[in-house]
Amino acid sequence: METQSPGPVYVIRMSLMFRIQHILLIFTLLVLAVTGFALMYHENWLGQALIRFEGGVLFRGFLHRAAAVFLMAQMIFHAYYMVFSGEGKRELGEVMLRGQDFADFLQAIRFNLGSVTEYPKFGKYGYKEKFQYWGATTGILLISITGVSLWAETFSMKFLPKVFLDLALIVHGYQGLFAFLILLLWHVYNEHLHPSVFPMNNAWLTGKVKAEWLRQEHPLEYEKLKQEGVL
Amino acid sequence: MRKAAIFAGIAAALLGVGALLFPPPAEARISLEKCTLCHGKTEFRKILVDGKIRELFATADSLKGSVHEKKTCVDCHFDVSDIPHRERPRRVTCTHCHYKGNAEGAPQSDASLAYFESVHGTAIARGNVKAPLCQDCHGSHQILKTKNESSAVSQRNVAETCGRCHIEIYAQYKMSIHGVAMAKGIKEAPSCTGCHGEHMIYSPKDPKSTVYATHIAAQCSKCHGSISIMSKFGIETEQVATYKESFHGVANQFGSRTVANCSSCHGTHEIRPAADPLSSVNPANVPKTCGKCHPGANPNFAVGKMHIDAKKKEAGIVYYVASFFKYLTIGTMLVLIAHILLDMYGRTKRLRGEK
Repeated sequence: METQSPGPVYVIRMSLMFRIQHILLIFTLLVLAVTGFALMYHENWLGQALIRFEGGVLFRGFLHRAAAVFLMAQMIFHAYYMVFSGEGKRELGEVMLRGQDFADFLQAIRFNLGSVTEYPKFGKYGYKEKFQYWGATTGILLISITGVSLWAETFSMKFLPKVFLDLALIVHGYQGLFAFLILLLWHVYNEHLHPSVFPMNNAWLTGKVKAEWLRQEHPLEYEKLKQEGVL
Repeated sequence: MRKAAIFAGIAAALLGVGALLFPPPAEARISLEKCTLCHGKTEFRKILVDGKIRELFATADSLKGSVHEKKTCVDCHFDVSDIPHRERPRRVTCTHCHYKGNAEGAPQSDASLAYFESVHGTAIARGNVKAPLCQDCHGSHQILKTKNESSAVSQRNVAETCGRCHIEIYAQYKMSIHGVAMAKGIKEAPSCTGCHGEHMIYSPKDPKSTVYATHIAAQCSKCHGSISIMSKFGIETEQVATYKESFHGVANQFGSRTVANCSSCHGTHEIRPAADPLSSVNPANVPKTCGKCHPGANPNFAVGKMHIDAKKKEAGIVYYVASFFKYLTIGTMLVLIAHILLDMYGRTKRLRGEK
């Protein structure tokens, strides 16, 4: 089909702006996880070691809240950037959930099980990326609500029954664990262990991916870039 | 005859030697007789500068029945030699006999040595004349074994003994659930020493104290965490575990001194059951109690159960939500892993198809 080029052709997949946001998010989520799980698992030695490492139970709380404020600030900035900037608008259009994504998901499962012969063709973001993005966004919004209501405990206790705070504490902890495990597992597979990217998809650092990878994993995006003359 | 005479002689000699070796407490008798010349008069007393009266009446009966029954005046008042006393006799020093390895066989343990480190002992050392010495708590002439119910430091009497100086605290304690239980003769109820310890009493602000902010929970749970004790009175033992799991409890375990411990909410000497309108944890008083740390606490603070354990069904919705999340997380992980395996399998198939 195409002529063999001397070296692999690269295309930009993550702009510098998104790489910075992504790295800040990694850092913030790690701080939140380490300080949060230290409290959640304070009964075992690792939790206790972490609390000591984080400067005691009170400073741990301070770190956790500082990171949480930073995370919420990033959320607000991200929402602003996605809605108002040119690049953000384009990306929002790409990552927006459509009925097609659910159809793709079902088709992928059917293909993997062998009941259909055609694997779905993804655009820049397939159902894996989109589910992850929107899952994380909703998760952060929800965990912020429970987190803030626990932080402002005197305020919350004035209006809500105590059982709400008990629930908020449980939901906050388990939701954090839930999100952490999904992010971990999903990233480990999609960005590290997946045969097409093993040992790691470098896009989060360099911003670039191989055009050939795009052709295999995101064919619609590949076609689009070809039509636009980028490739 | 001669034999009998020799025998009598030997016996007499032996008796003589015996009399030399083991003299009857003649000295003691003499001392007692001499002392009671003055101290045996019932009206023998001294009016102190502050108007208080010091009774100086003491007879052979003073020590009767006490652990020092066989002792005599100068055994303890050993600084008395002249009559009338040239100087005012000093206060009795119990460690004159009660030291480790003493020849008298006076009981001595490290527990009582802890007194010298205690808030009372150090106050004495600093020259506080109001601080108690041994005899201020144990009594002077009528010292009885602690196990003896009539002893000033028996479980039933020790609060009153402490209350001689700590009057207000004694009044609070007497009306508290612990004081009332003690008055009813419930042996498990704590008296002062139950929480504060006996000889090693420290100020609650001293980290060595059994009632220091970070030690309170452990001290209360000695009884309140024991099912065998609490089941007798129909009191839950959950409170200890649920406190430890709470924000307050975790911060406390990791050394926060400002976070609420048991006594921050339930009080110290004035602990009463929640149903009592005077209790600090009675719903009517909860806003004030919580308000000590959470300014602006309102009656809504009293809505709902304070001590809950999300791992137990009694926690209701909290338990079910926690269980839901547990299975949701496990379920999602399994589904994700299944999807990953399926995806890897499908991808190999897809790439093979491409060739």
